[in-house]
Amino acid sequence: MQSALLHLRSEDKPVLVSAGFIVVILVLGTIYTLYTQGTAPLFSPNYLLQQLQTGAFLGIVAAGMMMVILLGHIDLSIPWTLTAAAMMATAVGGDLALPTGIAVGIAVGLVNGIGVAYLRIPSMIFTLGVDSVMRGLMVWHTGGFAPQDQATPLMRFLAAEKLFGVPVAIFVWAAVSVVIVLLLSRTAFGRSIYATGNREAAAYLSGIRTRWVIVGAFVASGVCAATAGILLAGYSTKAYQGMGNAYLLPAIAAVVIGGTRILGGQGRYIGTLVGVTLIVLLNSVLSIMQMPEAGRQVIYGSVIVGMLLVYGRDTRSLSG
Amino acid sequence: MSDQPFLQLTGISKHFAGARALENVDFACKRGSIHAVLGENGAGKSTLIKIIAGVLEPDSGAMFLEGQQVRFSNPAEANSAGVVCIFQELSLVPDLTVADNISLAAPPLKFGMIDRRAQYRFAEAVLARIKCEDVDPNALVKDLSLSRRQMVEIAKAVGKSPKLLILDEATSALTRKDVETVYGLLEDLRQDNVASLFISHRMNEVERLCDTLSVFRNGRHVETFTKGTKTDREIVRLMIGREVDAHFPPKPQAERTAPHLQFNDLSWEGRLKGASLSVGKGEIVGLGGLDGQGQKELMLALFGVLRGVEGTVKVGEKTGAPLSPAAAKREPRRICLVPEDRKTEGLMLPMSISDNLLAASYSRVSVGPFIDPALESEAVDAAIAKLQIKLGSPQDAVATLSGGNQQKVVIAKWLMTDPDVILLNDPTRGIDVGTKQEIYRLMRELADEGRAILFYSTDYAELIGCCDRVAIMYDGSIVAELAGAAINEEAIIGASLNLHASGPEAVS
Repeated sequence: MQSALLHLRSEDKPVLVSAGFIVVILVLGTIYTLYTQGTAPLFSPNYLLQQLQTGAFLGIVAAGMMMVILLGHIDLSIPWTLTAAAMMATAVGGDLALPTGIAVGIAVGLVNGIGVAYLRIPSMIFTLGVDSVMRGLMVWHTGGFAPQDQATPLMRFLAAEKLFGVPVAIFVWAAVSVVIVLLLSRTAFGRSIYATGNREAAAYLSGIRTRWVIVGAFVASGVCAATAGILLAGYSTKAYQGMGNAYLLPAIAAVVIGGTRILGGQGRYIGTLVGVTLIVLLNSVLSIMQMPEAGRQVIYGSVIVGMLLVYGRDTRSLSG
Repeated sequence: MSDQPFLQLTGISKHFAGARALENVDFACKRGSIHAVLGENGAGKSTLIKIIAGVLEPDSGAMFLEGQQVRFSNPAEANSAGVVCIFQELSLVPDLTVADNISLAAPPLKFGMIDRRAQYRFAEAVLARIKCEDVDPNALVKDLSLSRRQMVEIAKAVGKSPKLLILDEATSALTRKDVETVYGLLEDLRQDNVASLFISHRMNEVERLCDTLSVFRNGRHVETFTKGTKTDREIVRLMIGREVDAHFPPKPQAERTAPHLQFNDLSWEGRLKGASLSVGKGEIVGLGGLDGQGQKELMLALFGVLRGVEGTVKVGEKTGAPLSPAAAKREPRRICLVPEDRKTEGLMLPMSISDNLLAASYSRVSVGPFIDPALESEAVDAAIAKLQIKLGSPQDAVATLSGGNQQKVVIAKWLMTDPDVILLNDPTRGIDVGTKQEIYRLMRELADEGRAILFYSTDYAELIGCCDRVAIMYDGSIVAELAGAAINEEAIIGASLNLHASGPEAVS
């Protein structure tokens, strides 16, 4: 957050607003727990680490989603890409479990990318179709029942163990984050994503291979979803039907709350990190408050819409 | 024919953001006459008809219809006063039927609902009047050919029973047979005492149809005269006669170098029809002609944007057109294109100046897979210094720069790739005089460094001042090549209008 505060620019505003909101959530939650239980567990390292571990799955999905949203596209195939990668990884098992899961992500990303970039089908429709196809394939594969395959020890280690008192999943999330940040800010591919998302025609006429860029971003999204799926299977020891369903909307929300322009071209990765943290903490505090599920959904949705109202307008006007 | 003009304009002026489009224009046209409006690109013809048709409101001046002062605030008001315009860009709704389109503004009603049968009969009658019985009123407009659509557009206008009909390049997309039909229609309308304003770049059309001609230049009405009182040469001279307001760097002694960029017989989807030209190293070749004669398509074809281009292209020793801009900019061709619209094709406006400058040369500032920040800022600083781009910080959004500096960013972006062939699509459009001069100087410097430059401009003065040779495009092919002293406005405009045409033409 320090670097964001140093040079304040228009795209930093959402990051600051969401970071402020995280503090508000923690303070309100603490007031509640102090009042009801007389303790302040929300600021304990253990609680925060546990939240970050939960957040790692969402964070990895959101990192990939951000690459696609930066292009002005969207990847709705994430739920079943994630599930398929988890199911394939556990089904193959052994040393090949991880490569198999990642390969599923790459394959789905390639299909999505080719459909959007070369066949010029709107990503909203195409990825939705791919999601449905993946679901069909997985139901076929499992016969509609919960698969009996167990996660490999490596998967369990990555998702559920601790290293130096810190959950390994957080290290995985951090590694993915470093890769994404390097990719976005220090490679031609990352710069091309921003250029293409801002104005595809101008990027194309600058000699950027915009189709490859689109395919690349969808592959990145597929790989991220697959990674999250492998971790999630390790965390719950097995893959199960619909395990990815809870990640699509929060991932999009985290990216957009973090200030990435939904029409593409603008956004910083730190924003996505903050967005993920916000969503995870909001969920957790609401459940600590024993808010009934219905109320949680209403508050959760209202916060997302409210945050977008706060800064969604001026980021749009920048499109000029 | 009465002596009172049907339409009269007095002292009409219109400015757009400081630039004058029309200055104190007096203009009149009579019923029962076909009146041609002539002028170069940007002479104010389009603004004039938009004001008459109610699309634009004048800044000052008055407009009279049959002696009554009128003020149209939208095209519907103009229509109800009998002023109907057929614009260059079609205004049909593609997903509605022909009959729907013809009576779009005021459909026949029955109990408050559209009376489909009456609408169909009306469309049939109007189409019959313009001899387009082959068009089914129930066909969807999007299923019709461009030529048929234009005829529906004309039917739509005729269906409004105009007293004054304005045709803005309305025959440009028509087949020869339809053009004849439109001529017949205009003759009929003249008999019916309708006034027609006819805007066309085709001198032979004007010669054949019109009885009165008005020439516009630089937003002013120069002269109105009856057909036959002036020769073509005199008309062309009236259309030019403009003060030269730019200074150009001196041209070197003309010596033809070996051709570096050559193309032969380029054709593409009816927009390019066998264009051939060669450009040598160190040479600036101008591309002239009226708007939309295929200049833009030619540049896009050479840059690898268009699919299905026929003909041969040779750059240096490399034969064949590039298949994408990414291929065009690399070895061995090293072509660059400064596109027509810098805001949508040249720049990513919300992104920083530095990001825009680097957009074509990531590989030049990378070490291994990663962009090196030191190389990056070095390259950006060098580009900014070379073109003297005036800016606050390279991290500012490029949208914050003035038009001239934005164009410099586009040019600097390409110079970073060290191109051998530079295609410039009207690079000085809409930028200030000072920056224009800098660009002229830069072009000459680049040519002296041995690059081949193809330079399209809508400003004849630039073609004359900057270019070693000028090629004029007309209807998708290059109809004239001028060199040395032969590069003058009369020759350029004459060739642009294809006055000495021997090539194929829509009407002869």
